[in-house]
Amino acid sequence: MSMTAAIQDDLFTDDVIANPYAYYGRLREDDPVHWNEAYALWVITRYDDVVWLTRHHELFSSAVFLNDRRPAYPPIDESDLGLYEYVKNYQGNQFIQHDRPEHLEMRRVMHGYFTPKSMEAWRPFVKAAVKELLDAAEAKGSMDVMRDLATPLPVLVIAQMMGVPAEDRPYVRQLAEKLLYIGRGEYDRMRPLSEGMRGMIEYVSPLVDKRIVDPGDDFISVLARGEKQGIFTRHQVLVNTSLLLLAGHETTINLLCNGTLSFMRNRGQWDLLQQDPAGRAKLATEECLRFDAPVISIQRIASQDVELRDKVLRKGDRLRWFISSANRDPEAFENPTSFDITRHPNPHVAFGSGTHHCLGATLARVEGQEVFKALAERFPDMRLETEDLEYQPSITFRSLKSLPITLH
Amino acid sequence: MARKLRVWVDQHACVGNAMCEAIAPAVFRLNDNRQSEVVDPAADSEEKILEAAENCPVSAIYVEDAETGERLFP
Repeated sequence: MSMTAAIQDDLFTDDVIANPYAYYGRLREDDPVHWNEAYALWVITRYDDVVWLTRHHELFSSAVFLNDRRPAYPPIDESDLGLYEYVKNYQGNQFIQHDRPEHLEMRRVMHGYFTPKSMEAWRPFVKAAVKELLDAAEAKGSMDVMRDLATPLPVLVIAQMMGVPAEDRPYVRQLAEKLLYIGRGEYDRMRPLSEGMRGMIEYVSPLVDKRIVDPGDDFISVLARGEKQGIFTRHQVLVNTSLLLLAGHETTINLLCNGTLSFMRNRGQWDLLQQDPAGRAKLATEECLRFDAPVISIQRIASQDVELRDKVLRKGDRLRWFISSANRDPEAFENPTSFDITRHPNPHVAFGSGTHHCLGATLARVEGQEVFKALAERFPDMRLETEDLEYQPSITFRSLKSLPITLH
Repeated sequence: MARKLRVWVDQHACVGNAMCEAIAPAVFRLNDNRQSEVVDPAADSEEKILEAAENCPVSAIYVEDAETGERLFP
């Protein structure tokens, strides 16, 4: 505890953004249930605490926007308070921002679409899309993994699932980039954020209208069915269509980029993958998810007073649990700072745990496996063009700005 | 008469998503670790049990014919 006085609480400094593992790793050692004074927020960093709290959904509410009357953190421009109310209402209608019993009812509308078996059926489509993107990159001899592979692949896949026309994909990604301001700290972030939200609602409205009348086998039709069953309001169908369009690709982008970077910085593991790309891709993808997870942290609100280690979280307190530090907890993983693609078992929490465990986990896995396998098969000599890499200033997403690679 | 099933949950894989419990609550129940356990494989229909297994997001549920050992899921 003597160390805690020295902990600085700004989670958006260049150091913390560049290397969250050092900062949250130190918290995990010194003060695993840390009260962040600057944002009035509990910061939870140990693996077993993260697993425990995600599995006790009755103690920690996921309705972090609708039930929270306190101001935004970090603070926002006062003239944007109206926009903040709009953002809260939009976020609050997402199914992931509900607790049981509503959450279960909403998730069941969608859950069957994302089973491991039905996602496996998408593998040939994913494989073909990866091939097409890598063919284009090969012709050029280099690529920005972010721009040329990690972004177009998951956007294409989720757009296909949702029946979004091919020509609209760049526009959808443009809106998605505005929605990513949710995890950032800028004073004026409510402006791009609310713009992205309004844009999404406007964009998906006619797609939803059409499927209410004439449902097909795409995923928007699944959500539209939820309205007919009385589980979703129309506004909730629109918000959740937007959510799936975003969540269906953003996190996978980070898996593909961060995973590729891990391989490039751990050449021995890259060589190991090449010995048997098809055989090793599965465990390798799990290790990419653990080692440099796409999502850094997620918020909850205490539903009642809860004791955690030597602290008491009061009813209504905000808390964030950190995937980035839990996945490197030495109590849970041997040699946690080593990138080891043979690691097994690998009970990482990149997808969370419990009732809110990521709906799209299997899809992300399929996309990761196919990309790492194809890269290893086709470009054994690929290398980083620069070590000078930057991350988006977010406490939610671990997102590179770009990842330039030489292929041969 | 319905055939007897052997049903179990891989505790290394289970993430406590609890969809199995929602689908077949008489068969699956969350334990103190909030992981799923089989309490009674005969308490619901084969169809419901297979539905629960298929809906497990991490494929942690295994189903066999108890007499022949035939694997029914995955």
